[in-house]
Formats: sequence, structure tokens, C-alpha cells
Amino acid sequence: MSKHSKQTPLHAWHVQQGANMAPFGGYDMPVWYSSAKNEHLAVLNRAGLFDTSHMATVMVNGPRARDLLQQTFSRDLEACLGKKRTPLQPGRMVYGVFLTPKGHVIDDAIITHLEDDLYMVVVNAGMGPGIADHLQNHLADSQTRVLDLTDQVGKIDLQGPRAGVILFGLLQDPDRVFARMPYFSCHGHLQPEKSEVRLRDGTPLLLSRSGYTGEFGFEIFVRPQDLLSAWTSILEAGAEHGLLPCGLAARDSLRAGAVLPLSHQDIGDWPFVNTPWDFALPWTEDKQGFSKDFVGAQALRDLTDPPLTAAFVGKDLRKVNAGPDSKVLNAQGDPIGTVLSCVTDVGVGWHQGRIYSVSSPDAPEDFKPKGLSCGFVRVTAPLHPGDAVKIQDKRRTLEVTVAEDIRPDRTARKPLTQMLNTEHK
Amino acid sequence: MKELNEIILPDELAYSKEHEWAKKENGVIRVGITDFAQDQLGDIVFAELPEEGAEFSSGDEFGTLESVKAVSEVYMPIGGTIKAVNSDLEEKPELVNQDPYGQGWLLEVTPSDPSELDSLMDKNGYFEMLKGDA
Repeated sequence: MSKHSKQTPLHAWHVQQGANMAPFGGYDMPVWYSSAKNEHLAVLNRAGLFDTSHMATVMVNGPRARDLLQQTFSRDLEACLGKKRTPLQPGRMVYGVFLTPKGHVIDDAIITHLEDDLYMVVVNAGMGPGIADHLQNHLADSQTRVLDLTDQVGKIDLQGPRAGVILFGLLQDPDRVFARMPYFSCHGHLQPEKSEVRLRDGTPLLLSRSGYTGEFGFEIFVRPQDLLSAWTSILEAGAEHGLLPCGLAARDSLRAGAVLPLSHQDIGDWPFVNTPWDFALPWTEDKQGFSKDFVGAQALRDLTDPPLTAAFVGKDLRKVNAGPDSKVLNAQGDPIGTVLSCVTDVGVGWHQGRIYSVSSPDAPEDFKPKGLSCGFVRVTAPLHPGDAVKIQDKRRTLEVTVAEDIRPDRTARKPLTQMLNTEHK
Repeated sequence: MKELNEIILPDELAYSKEHEWAKKENGVIRVGITDFAQDQLGDIVFAELPEEGAEFSSGDEFGTLESVKAVSEVYMPIGGTIKAVNSDLEEKPELVNQDPYGQGWLLEVTPSDPSELDSLMDKNGYFEMLKGDA
């Protein structure tokens, strides 16, 4: 561990559990505890608990807070919820990116609307000061306050089909909390006196239904001093449901299978366009333009022939090393780009020409996946789902298929009531 | 992750700086990775091993071990011809994690120069190297 690495309030717990620790985003974080494979599968079949306190939290407050976010964020807060594109409102959240004037990604973020004039912006580890500065630089008035609260917020993510059942037993008044909680909504508050959501021991929470694994679950924000007790309470309550603490390796492999980007790897210092995350830009319905102006929009509009980011899936679980030295080759063997990321989703496998997940209800009876490699490439030639390309590092060349989706039957968007009432496979 | 004093290092093995072990057995050298190496790599989900009959020099990369996130090369602790590879790893690569010195062995080599074995480290030398790296 670097002596300059920061630690989350759970660091001593991780070390005491014998976690494999590694530097990530300036923090010393668990990569896995006893088995990255088991942790990945736990989230698909049961539940996993992640320490995500290294993520950064920036608050934006004031009568013109929304204007500031409209100017700097890639989503149109007046037209971002659901198919009807209704405005962001308190209790709802939205995913998008902050761009430079050149249209390059500074970081991706989830913005939570807490109160009329109060927004919480969660960005990646180490990005709190940078995003706070970026917002400050675009302040047009003295009434809007931007505050980096990273060290004052603890965060843990409970993910997987049993997450609701586990949390139900731990919450005060769970029926009320869960009564209306669609995907990307929240209850509670960061300020304890304003939070109506509490654990049975009284711990106040901000509880959101979201996450980075593609599976059903929650992100739980607590005060740093409450983090260890909340973490251990959830682990104890989840033991009978097969809940495992999970490290960054499982998060990484789960998100790739769910076609979600990892900041600074799948999205980063290049124009944010032609990606599988098209929904993060405020396109008008006819896709001819943006529904608002924002930092970076002009650069994206002006681009001619920009590169393209695409998801891929392999034929088996073998991988290449991603990075600038990797290559993507087209059918003719010509280099057309580089591999941004490549991991194994151990929960999926091919069967008779299609991918099943261990949680697919229609998976064949004897289905035992060994896993498939998956990730993202960045290329200069147009690619479409189903196209075959080769990915290459200095050691090996693998045939992979460009994919619109990878791990089927993900649970993230399933109705909460269904996840509370059904015994998941 | 194991503490250094928890790493199992059998007395009778020879160790390479790349974290392979070698053991003389009925005229061939059996090769695997150390308990330290399997602990560092985490869950092995795939082992890519050479064909029988392939020839390698000491220090050559002979295959890869694939964990969920990474691909790691494995190197020959001794030169020679591949006599056998552990076919059990095709179905159960996790044997490398569970039993790195037993059922998780990787391959057997007919050495071209058996004296190369003497240039490898003994248990104490390897442990000192690990302490130095830590």
C-alpha cells in the first residue's frame, strides 16, 4: 500500500478479513476477500455488499443549482425521467457525464435531487475536488454553493436479488420505505435530522435504488461514524441469504457484463459520442440535436467522423490485456482500434448460439457457465452488433463479437415488490 | 490475502524468482506455481498450457493462468521437453488455488540439463525473496 493512499472507515475491517488490497483512485481498497468469482456469483444469485465510500460526493445548493447542473451536466434535467421525459424531481436520480469544452469526459456521475434547491452529485474516487472546481468555474452567481463532502459521507452498496429481503428486516417501517421506490429513486436524506429512513437501531440513511452491477439493489449513504455498524449489521442480517462482502474485482466484472462503463477506462479523455451510453446525452427525439446547451455540446456537434466505442463478448473466458498496446483487428486483419477493458463475467456462457446467465429463468437444466470475456473497444471503423472482430495483445489474438448486450436477465429494473416476494433462482 | 508467514512452502521443492516451483520425480521435473502466486492471482478460471513434446528453455513463457480480471504468464523454471500437462485443469482450474503443490500442478518436463535445478532457490531463499518484495 502506498503511504499516500487514503482509507475508507472500513479499511481496518477489510484488512482484518484478509482482503486482497490494492490502490484504486487514491484509496487502498479491497479487490476481493476470498474469491472474486464467488463474490461475482453471489451478486447474481443472492447478494453482495460493496464498500464504495471511496466514491466522492459533491453537494450543489441554491436557487440556481439546477441551472448550474443544466449548464455542466450531459443530461437535460427538465426531460430525463422515464419514457415521457419528465423533469428531475426530489427523490429521483439521473446518470450522465461532465464534459470538458472539447467534449471529453471528466467523469461520470449520478445526480440525486434531494430537495428543491439541493442536489447530490456522486462521482468517482478522487474526483470530488476536480468536479467541485469544474462546477465552481461555471458559477454565474454567488448564491449557489458547491461543497465537496467526500470525507463526510460513508457509502455501501447492497446488490443482488436478495438485497430487498435483507434490507427489509433491517429497516424501521420497511413497508413505507419500499412502498414507492422505482429504479433510480431514493428515500431519506444525507442530513440525519431530515432523514425519515432509519435502520432499526436508529441509524439515519439516504437509501437509493441503484447500483453499478446491473443487478437489483441499493446504494446506502450513512455518516462515516455509522458506516462500520451499518456494514456489519447488513452482513449479519444477510448471512442466512448468502450475502458476501465483495471487492472491486467483482464490481468490475459485473459492470462489464451489464454494459456499464468504468470511468477513466471505458470513458475518458476523448469525445463522449458514438458510445453504448447514448442515453447519457440529451438528444432530441429525432436525434438531430440536443434538447439543451451544455459544456462540451458544441464540440460534440462539430465532430466529423468520431471514433466509436462498442461492447464485445468472447467465445470463452480468455482475455487480452487492455490498454494502448492492445489492438482491435477487423475481418481483413487491419488494425482499427484498441481494447479499453477486458474482464471475465463468470456468470454467463454460450448455449446453442445464445448467452444465458446463471440467473436466466429459461437456462437449460444442466447449464454451468464457465464465464465469457467481455469489455469495450474503441475503434475508428463503424461496427454493429454481431460483427466479428479480433482483439490482440502481445501474447494472443482472440475472436470476439460486437454485442449490444452481454449478461441477459439482469435484475436491476425489476419491480421491487417482485424482488421481495419471489425466491430468486 | 495471506500473510507471508501463512504461505505454505514445502521443504523438498526448488523455487524460481517468477514464483514457480519444481520437483524431481521419476526422472522428470514436475512444475507448478507457488502458494504465494496462487494467492496473489486469486481465482484461476482458465489454464492455458503447452502441447506435450514442446521444447522450452529455462525462463521461457510456457503458458498463462487466467483469473477473473487478469491474465498472467507462467515461466519455465528449467529447460526441457514437455512430458505431460495436467489435464485435470481443463475442467477444474481451481485446483491451482486449492492445491498448488498437489493436484494443481501444471506440467512435467524432461530436463535438457538437470543441473539447472541447482540454480533455483530453496525454501529459505525464496522466502527471503518474498520478504524483500513485500
